[in-house]
Amino acid sequence: MSGLSSGTAAGTTPLPHRSVANIRSPHTSGNTNPSTPSSSSRPIPSSTFGSPSSLRADEDILILELGTRKLQIGFAGDACPRGTVWFTPSQLRRVGDFRDWSSESKSNVDWKTKKVTGEKWWSRDHELWEYDVREVDLGLIGDKVDRALREALTKYMLIDSRPRRMVGVLPSGLPLPMLSAVLDSLFSRFQPPAISLLSSPVALTVGAGVRSSLIVDLGWRETVVTSVYEFREVSTNRSVRGGRLLVEQTHKLLAKHLPENQKKKANDNAGETEDYELSFDECNDITTRMVWCKPHLSSPKAPKSSDGLPTLHEQDESGVAPVESSTDTSKTVRIPLLSCRSPTTIELPWEALAEPSENTFFDSQYTESSFDDHELPLPLLVYRSLLQLPLDVRALCMSRIIFTGGCTNVLGLRGRIFGEVSKLVEERGWDGVQGKGADQMRANPKLKGKRGSRPANSGPSGVDSPSEGASGQEQDGVWHDAANTAHDECPVEEQLKRGQDKRPRVQGKMRAIESVGAWSGASLIAHLKAAPVSTVEREAWLQYGAVGASKPSEVDQKSARQSFGPGGLMRGSAASNSWTLGVWGMN
Amino acid sequence: MAPLNPYTYIQCPCSDSASLGRPTDLTSPTSADGDEDNTFDPRAPRANFSLYPLEYLLYCEDCHQIRCPRCIAEEIATYYCPSCLFEVPSSNLKSEGNRCTRSCFQCPICIGPLSVTSIETPPPSSTLLSPDHAATPHSTYSLICSYCNWSSTEIGIQFDKPNGIHAQLAKLRNGGASRLTAKERKERRKELSHRGGEAAVAAAAAVAANESSGGQDVDLETQFANLKLFCNSQLADPSAADNGFSSLGDLGFSSPSSLSRIMNLYTGGKLHDPRAKSKLGAMREALAADEGLLESNLNESSLITRLHQSDFLDTASSTQICSQPPNLGEPHLHGASRFNSSLRPVPYLLRTKRSKRCPVCRHIISKPEAKVQTTRFRIRLVAGSYIPSISIRRLNLPGPNGPAAPAILGDLLDPLKPVHFLLTFKNPIFESLKVTLGAPATTPGRFPSKVTVLCPQFDIDANTDVWDEALKDNDRESSSRSRRRAGTESQFQVEVGKIWERGRNWVSIVVEVVPASLKLEAGQDVLKEDEDVLEIPMFVRIEWEVENGGDDATSGPGRDKDQKEKRELAYWCVLGLGRIKQG
Repeated sequence: MSGLSSGTAAGTTPLPHRSVANIRSPHTSGNTNPSTPSSSSRPIPSSTFGSPSSLRADEDILILELGTRKLQIGFAGDACPRGTVWFTPSQLRRVGDFRDWSSESKSNVDWKTKKVTGEKWWSRDHELWEYDVREVDLGLIGDKVDRALREALTKYMLIDSRPRRMVGVLPSGLPLPMLSAVLDSLFSRFQPPAISLLSSPVALTVGAGVRSSLIVDLGWRETVVTSVYEFREVSTNRSVRGGRLLVEQTHKLLAKHLPENQKKKANDNAGETEDYELSFDECNDITTRMVWCKPHLSSPKAPKSSDGLPTLHEQDESGVAPVESSTDTSKTVRIPLLSCRSPTTIELPWEALAEPSENTFFDSQYTESSFDDHELPLPLLVYRSLLQLPLDVRALCMSRIIFTGGCTNVLGLRGRIFGEVSKLVEERGWDGVQGKGADQMRANPKLKGKRGSRPANSGPSGVDSPSEGASGQEQDGVWHDAANTAHDECPVEEQLKRGQDKRPRVQGKMRAIESVGAWSGASLIAHLKAAPVSTVEREAWLQYGAVGASKPSEVDQKSARQSFGPGGLMRGSAASNSWTLGVWGMN
Repeated sequence: MAPLNPYTYIQCPCSDSASLGRPTDLTSPTSADGDEDNTFDPRAPRANFSLYPLEYLLYCEDCHQIRCPRCIAEEIATYYCPSCLFEVPSSNLKSEGNRCTRSCFQCPICIGPLSVTSIETPPPSSTLLSPDHAATPHSTYSLICSYCNWSSTEIGIQFDKPNGIHAQLAKLRNGGASRLTAKERKERRKELSHRGGEAAVAAAAAVAANESSGGQDVDLETQFANLKLFCNSQLADPSAADNGFSSLGDLGFSSPSSLSRIMNLYTGGKLHDPRAKSKLGAMREALAADEGLLESNLNESSLITRLHQSDFLDTASSTQICSQPPNLGEPHLHGASRFNSSLRPVPYLLRTKRSKRCPVCRHIISKPEAKVQTTRFRIRLVAGSYIPSISIRRLNLPGPNGPAAPAILGDLLDPLKPVHFLLTFKNPIFESLKVTLGAPATTPGRFPSKVTVLCPQFDIDANTDVWDEALKDNDRESSSRSRRRAGTESQFQVEVGKIWERGRNWVSIVVEVVPASLKLEAGQDVLKEDEDVLEIPMFVRIEWEVENGGDDATSGPGRDKDQKEKRELAYWCVLGLGRIKQG
């Protein structure tokens, strides 16, 4: 963001920070209403809440993880969050409105099953935010966070309302206005003296005990593949194929099998209506209960077809399916449904329950070129993420793949993605160029020598030994090389090496590892008193808002570095005047 | 359609300034009505967060302000278990967690309470009378739900003792396999380290490997503990002092650690200069299960087969899963958590009794009795005893053609036909109130109904003692009666500017409403939930005078003691009148 650089300059004249328009263009806002003091819009003056009698509960740090559908909270140092609050429509109701408990409300979902133009009513009330900030009511997000957090504090945390330090674990793709709204809400309602921010991929990496990783977050809104190298996010790729799409696909499947007389508006305008037949809750429930994913079977004997992968996959599945469920292919599953016209039970073939995940995450019936950048099938997404990484980073990341997010609960999905990515790597190596021309060129003996001279290319080896993990070897080769050089004897080295573990780091082969989770990772970081990505002080935020943040590169590292000693906690980085919003303030 | 009882919601003034401070151009187009920005819109999605029924509101006597749950500071008086009503000391909360650690459990299927029942291992009938029967060691116990008949034997869990179920359960996995709790593991580690030396470390690793059996069986708690231990040991290393998690913080390229890293990366042949490397990788990553690294088991085919063989009802619903406490005793479950067999008895969440303070003046405005068993409050300043309550009744006037039909509660309102509602304001305080009402001429939203408050300004008499009233000569009573009678005589004529009826401490006024038609034009979206409810926002402003007590001299040093102090309170409220007939 270009405006941020001037934010520090504007530090002398406080800017109104409430409106997002001002965050976007601080230049104009500063000129038009320079007289507006930022404190005028503050609901409660800070001095009143910071009254002397409020003892600071210094020892407890609250860790707060915000996702699209739920909020998790607990104390730093605990292994898991104490409470999880899901965002549900009942949270949007007024206090004292108990209609969710009455039986009649269940039937009254007619308006929600409609597809209202531009608004996804069906699942919208189950989500905290939509990343498209153009139409979003930021105040509403603040209110939602406020209410959910209040519920979590009273119901699960059982703590009083003394101000406590907080650590927020947020997805790194969170738009700045949203971050600003969340921080606004937290600072003005809960009076924490400071909030530290951590990005969830980094927290997940710490939670897995590694320093570099490839995070495959099979989330609700979208799937995000983030590569983390030495605790920092190196690259991010995303695809809309996530939990929401999965639930919608499940709905499609169920609606297809619904008997005709159960459909709601079947005869109104046939085929045209995109209305939902079933309630979101029910589809969501069925998705978590019954949906599974066909496993990936590696088929070494499959011929390498020249015109790309998709046909290959289809062959795979047709070959796989009978083998997998050879026991009972004709088995049907009976699923009771309540939210259609009248309660009914439908019968589905067992195989059909794998369709939603197939369509959502793989869509293997289409060719690769038919996908847009935002809807890549997951194996391809992961492969491309790896492909675009530098060689050494890739070597580390590919053997530290962490699957996380709600969709990991789909049985077999992780294995399938992993298998397909491995297969892609096996087939293509780490060569971004695909297609007939590339194949011909590779096969052309005249060009071979020339290509072989390029060191970073692993194409030739792919041709020489198509059945092997060519790139893996290449990686291994490089790193073995490196390891061999380190064999000179030197006393200083010896001393240095004493504390080191001589076991080699696993790299260059595909491997998936488990993380204790983003929340627990953040809990660990806070417990170890490590310096967080960024710390926002309450006073500074209330005064300047997001424009007060300086760019990460502008922070004087010397002053910040002094705090890294033991006991530095979050106090240290706060001592320096400038503070950043970490990855969120980068662009 | 459910009938609708008329209701009143009050917006706490604390949220007022917050909502005004927000940019309106980003909100939904309905609320961005330009010049009418001061009108409160009860339909706006944010309004739901600031509206409260009168019963939920408290009142600070010193600040003379309404206090809602959002603008209150809370302090905890007591922690207790709602099932056994035992008080839990606050120190336990940090260590033992937020759930009852005695034997109080909820059924994971329904939410009924579970009871400990002994499972009879059928003894030979002849020994029933023998004295050693009482000491038979074979009886085991299980938790049973008396409502849905769920039993903990379904998940393969049985207990040896009928008491201390929580502690026993912590050591058991679903299926009956035992596990080490965090405490035991710590002790074991300590033991080993006491033996000292390298051997102990190796032994510890061996133990860890044993208990994890190949890294697949490590439960969440163990993994976290291992990670913590590992990180601590790494950070304790003096050479690691400057480079632990430090790279979390510095994102720029100017920091020395970043520079050294970059130099290391791109200096070709010297890439692995050992000296530089050792400094770089001062904190290495975890390499084994006892350090917290865990390879994931991606082969879930056995689970798929299990799902294949099981019925829909063998899987847990999402609400059941949500109510489960985090299960630390199992390895990463991922998809396996969907089976009923992975559910565990839910220990009751503890609850609290809280006293509440005004955040501004720190006065206590609500304080419960500390004892768990009592439900009384020592101090409780509810808003209902400070601000007038509003009750709503439909008023059916006899029309020009025939007598009025009796008003039925929850009757649907005919669109475009004027209806009258009787609002009764009741004064709870001992001063007479001056009330001023303001309501927009049309209700906000897609379907604007016309609203006319016939008498927007009136006085309510003080809430005097009932006996005063009775003992006094029946002047006032007769006057109120006469008012009513006068109404009867004038054929219930609704008069503008006149109150309808008045009593000892209450006043009724009439509001005329013309409900909007709910006909949808082409291209309009369907009715949303509750969009057919006729809700009118109303701004209430009350003024009253109090005797200026001599105690607070600061407020009026120059004034006489006799002079009365004027107080006022103003807030928005929302009156829900009824549903409009559709179609």
